[in-house]
Amino acid sequence: MHIMEGFLPAAWCIAWWLVALPCLALGVRELRRVLSSDRESLPLLGVTGGFVFILSSLKLPSVTGSSSHPTGTGLSAVSFGPWVTTVVGAIVLLFQALFLAHGGLSTLGANIVSMGVAGPLVGWGVYRALRDSPVGIYTTVFLAASFADLFTYLTTSLQLALAYPAQVGGAWSSFIIFLGIFAVTQVPLAILEAVILVLVFKYIVQLRPGILIRLKVFSEGRILAARSDG
Amino acid sequence: MMLARYRLEILALIAIIALCALLLRIGGAGFPGSDNTGSAQISRLTGIPEEGFHPLVWQWIPPGPEVESGLFALQAAIGGICVGWVFGYWKGLKEKG
Repeated sequence: MHIMEGFLPAAWCIAWWLVALPCLALGVRELRRVLSSDRESLPLLGVTGGFVFILSSLKLPSVTGSSSHPTGTGLSAVSFGPWVTTVVGAIVLLFQALFLAHGGLSTLGANIVSMGVAGPLVGWGVYRALRDSPVGIYTTVFLAASFADLFTYLTTSLQLALAYPAQVGGAWSSFIIFLGIFAVTQVPLAILEAVILVLVFKYIVQLRPGILIRLKVFSEGRILAARSDG
Repeated sequence: MMLARYRLEILALIAIIALCALLLRIGGAGFPGSDNTGSAQISRLTGIPEEGFHPLVWQWIPPGPEVESGLFALQAAIGGICVGWVFGYWKGLKEKG
């Protein structure tokens, strides 16, 4: 989902930076609030952030014959909400822009919006919609994580379509073309990523249910029920 | 009983095997990065060759694919250390009671 350095016109770079910056500011504020209110949230941040580092470093082959990265942002979005995830995503994307030439500093704003804002926001929305529903907590985390991954790539496609509308059919036609490149490749990877993140979530439920209960990720009853379920 | 307890692990294993099987069938595609495929598509839409796009901000580029894959491994290692450290810490806390 990285838009490469130089491949986004300057006006769009600035526009997406302007969207990214307030989200980052919100994230930093939220992060300080969460960390100061509960010491146990730091290790949880280490696990959820660690998985963003691991999963987004893996370039996995997919059905379209090209490779792509999972994002790993779903678990952080479920645990801490979208804005903290924006900060985590931005750190990973900065690392990749500086050391890997995957995305650049001018396109970093756009990439933060896709991987750190839009994806986590949609994933978190899915989780919030299902949190108190009869849908099981593992299924909820699975859906949130796969939507966070998929919507990241949907957003990249939209960003590129807006910047490069096709001569025939305009931005919509470009959007479909970019979706074919990014989103279709992403579907199996989003499923795989979500399965892995659910497994991680299960281990957190088993080892440290208290922090999930205090952060009100799910109600105490549902977490303890899932825990005794094994 | 045992199966119910590990149903998520089993599902994860099935998902990984299914993806591998799917990819074996496709085989020989070369699997270039979708980021680069995206850049090539931009070049096609604009009619400007990929070399025609210049960085707006100076960018360091890893000197060669070996260095790049090494740095990717470093990124995964940083994440892995975080995750392993925390799960070890939690496990220790749990055993201490």
